[in-house]
Amino acid sequence: MITTSRIQSLFTNGILEIILALLCVVLAVTASGFLTAENLLNVLRNVSMQGVIAFGMTMVIISGEIDLSVGSAVAFSACLTAFFTLKFSAEWVSLPIALAIAIAILFSLIIGFFLGVFTGFMRTRYQVPSFITTLALMTGLSGAAELITNGFPLTPFPNWYNFIGGGYLVGIPFPALLFLLTFVILQFLMNYTAFGRSVYAVGGNAEAARLSGINVSRVKMMVLGITSLLAALSGIMVSSEIMSGTATTAKGWELDVIAAVIIGGTSLMGGVGRIWGTMVGVVFLGVLMNGMTLLNVSEYWQHVVRGVIILVAVLLNLLQKEKRRG
Amino acid sequence: MSTPAHSLQTRSLRKEYPGTVALDDVSVSFTGGKIHALIGKNGAGKSTLVKIISGATQPTRGSILVDGLEVSLPSPRHALERGIVAVHQELSLVPELTVAENILLGRLPKKHGLRNSVIDWRSVFLRAGQVLDDLGVYLDVHEKAGTLGIAQQQVVEIAKAMSYEPSILILDEPTSALAQHETERLFDVLKKLKTRGVVLLYITHRLQELHEIADTVTVLRNGALVGTIGIDQATPAAIVQMMFGEVVQRSRPVDLIAPTEPFVEVRSLSRTGSFDDVNFTVNKGEVLGIAGLLGSGRTELLRAIFGADPPDSGELIIAGQHIRPTSPEQMKELGIAMTPENRKDQGLVQLLSTSVNLCLSSLHRIASHGFLTRTREERLVEKNVRELDIKVNRTDAPVAFLSGGNQQKVVIGKWLNTNPRLVLLDEPTRGIDVQAKQQMFQIIWDMSKRGISCIVVSSELEELLDICHRILIMRAGRIVSEVRPSEISLENLFAACMKEEV
Repeated sequence: MITTSRIQSLFTNGILEIILALLCVVLAVTASGFLTAENLLNVLRNVSMQGVIAFGMTMVIISGEIDLSVGSAVAFSACLTAFFTLKFSAEWVSLPIALAIAIAILFSLIIGFFLGVFTGFMRTRYQVPSFITTLALMTGLSGAAELITNGFPLTPFPNWYNFIGGGYLVGIPFPALLFLLTFVILQFLMNYTAFGRSVYAVGGNAEAARLSGINVSRVKMMVLGITSLLAALSGIMVSSEIMSGTATTAKGWELDVIAAVIIGGTSLMGGVGRIWGTMVGVVFLGVLMNGMTLLNVSEYWQHVVRGVIILVAVLLNLLQKEKRRG
Repeated sequence: MSTPAHSLQTRSLRKEYPGTVALDDVSVSFTGGKIHALIGKNGAGKSTLVKIISGATQPTRGSILVDGLEVSLPSPRHALERGIVAVHQELSLVPELTVAENILLGRLPKKHGLRNSVIDWRSVFLRAGQVLDDLGVYLDVHEKAGTLGIAQQQVVEIAKAMSYEPSILILDEPTSALAQHETERLFDVLKKLKTRGVVLLYITHRLQELHEIADTVTVLRNGALVGTIGIDQATPAAIVQMMFGEVVQRSRPVDLIAPTEPFVEVRSLSRTGSFDDVNFTVNKGEVLGIAGLLGSGRTELLRAIFGADPPDSGELIIAGQHIRPTSPEQMKELGIAMTPENRKDQGLVQLLSTSVNLCLSSLHRIASHGFLTRTREERLVEKNVRELDIKVNRTDAPVAFLSGGNQQKVVIGKWLNTNPRLVLLDEPTRGIDVQAKQQMFQIIWDMSKRGISCIVVSSELEELLDICHRILIMRAGRIVSEVRPSEISLENLFAACMKEEV
């Protein structure tokens, strides 16, 4: 009896994990080169730059908001990092390149954070939906990235800078380590802190949270700020990978990121979701893309399959919830 | 007078909701050409009866007869087709549409041809104008409903109802938003309808209106029919007796402390449109009641003290400190808690578990340096469940699964975990069963003994008499007097709340 109910609960709570495991088994058999350490680390590296944002996006969606600007924020942050590096190492002052890069990274992260806080401020102070503010930021930041680069990639970086987006530490891609680190921090934040609990409460019922003495505005501003900060981090990783600040990178990432979050079981209605679910969602999409590439599936088909996966995942989640309720 | 009078009858209507019986074996009949007042306290079953008659909800048992024939009313649309129309207290006009469109909403006259899909605007305005003329009111049918005053909107609602040419018209507190002269005009309209043999059901809280308008008075109490009397028999004493029944004074605990040390002083607190210049003091460990009708400003006052809807002016004095409430977060820090009237939507996050809800207000108290420790949480939750006697199978399951009484205990537990010094309770016993009510009283008295002050707002006046040290009477946004339960009878307390401002 105990074992059957345990298996049942595994099915209801871990259906995505099971599907992911099945997918891996199928690919291990059919796609040569899938089950190698090199390929798996490669998958991890490929998902890491969108993945760090996905964890933040999970918090945003749980809190009942949305952030459509993350793709543009990545491009903006990449360009901003290159821009400041150029300015601090040559044009405004001639600081040592390492120091210029450090300052540039710091500025990009801070500016990123406050862009998110701005969205939260507009939401809580003026009741502008985050959908609208981030839609405006999506266009605005993309334009700003073009402006500061004059439409051409900025390339002020020395070779060693490639480490952040392309290097290895103890045999693991460095961006993958940043991805795992972000996961651990946000997993902890959402599950073991007063702040994380407030995020669920605010998304579940903002008015009840406010009447419980929770500062709803602060929670929303923080959540959006953290996500925007993670987009800036992602932008720094991207600038390092391609060794330039290019305004046209990361186009449409917001949708990939939101897709991963939703596949991971987070409800767009707010109040429900897990960081771990997003981890599985991100890896699932990564493995799927990688497998299809190895199997020589055309890129067009990959898009179609991804669209189908998103729908099926949401449908499965909803059906499961219904079953648990009934 | 040529139209034959209609009639409405119910037979053994019963309505059960999970955990409660809202309507119990109600058999009553209403004849056309008369105005039948339907009265009772909040939760007596008036609105349930109206909902069943207008098809908005289905009875668990029993039947409805219109003009002597049994009807089935699976939806409001079916009720409309039977000529049953209800005008609800909350206005349901579309503000952006004209008066005429609102009156004929969903039934706009169409031009012939073109598959009858083109609106015939001329006859829209003509017909709406006719309906208004019939009622003897003048309103511009081209005006947008949203620009009208509340009273005029109410008239449009009634016109809309009349455009269905109902045989049974139900009016749910139609005068609650009206001024005296508007009420009189409405009464003229109703008297006119009487002559057409329409069955008029009139729900009201204003007992002084009864003699002006009603022919019979039907009283419900706790979901059961108490009886129907003619208006000539309806003395105030008789009505109160019917509404409240034999009042049993519950024995209070003998060891209740007599609080004398002031804790919070409320000074000339005002909020435009809600309440004005409110002054009172709550003593340490005191249970202070606020009695007043719906709309007297009692809920708004509690919310203002808690900072949920901050006051426009005035202040609180707490232990010598002058404080202007601005947010619940701030007031929580000062030791003030509130259990809101609407506990389902405002008191709890239904999606989250019982234990998470219990810890929601005290997250920073439980956490050390912002980090939650499961053992500490569990210990607290376990203590709440034990001390408040919360009936819960799994504290990690959504709180939505709990009954009303247990949910209320969770809300109180959530605040007890903050070590409050003053708890504001808005309708703490609404929708919970008798046993849970008794437990709620005990919880309030226990808090009082521990030196926690309580301000209780309740429509159940007899409850206030039972549990409070002192009762403030609130009317039209002002505190008009202060009484002690031992010095006032239920009838007089009720009368004090009812008295109209002149």
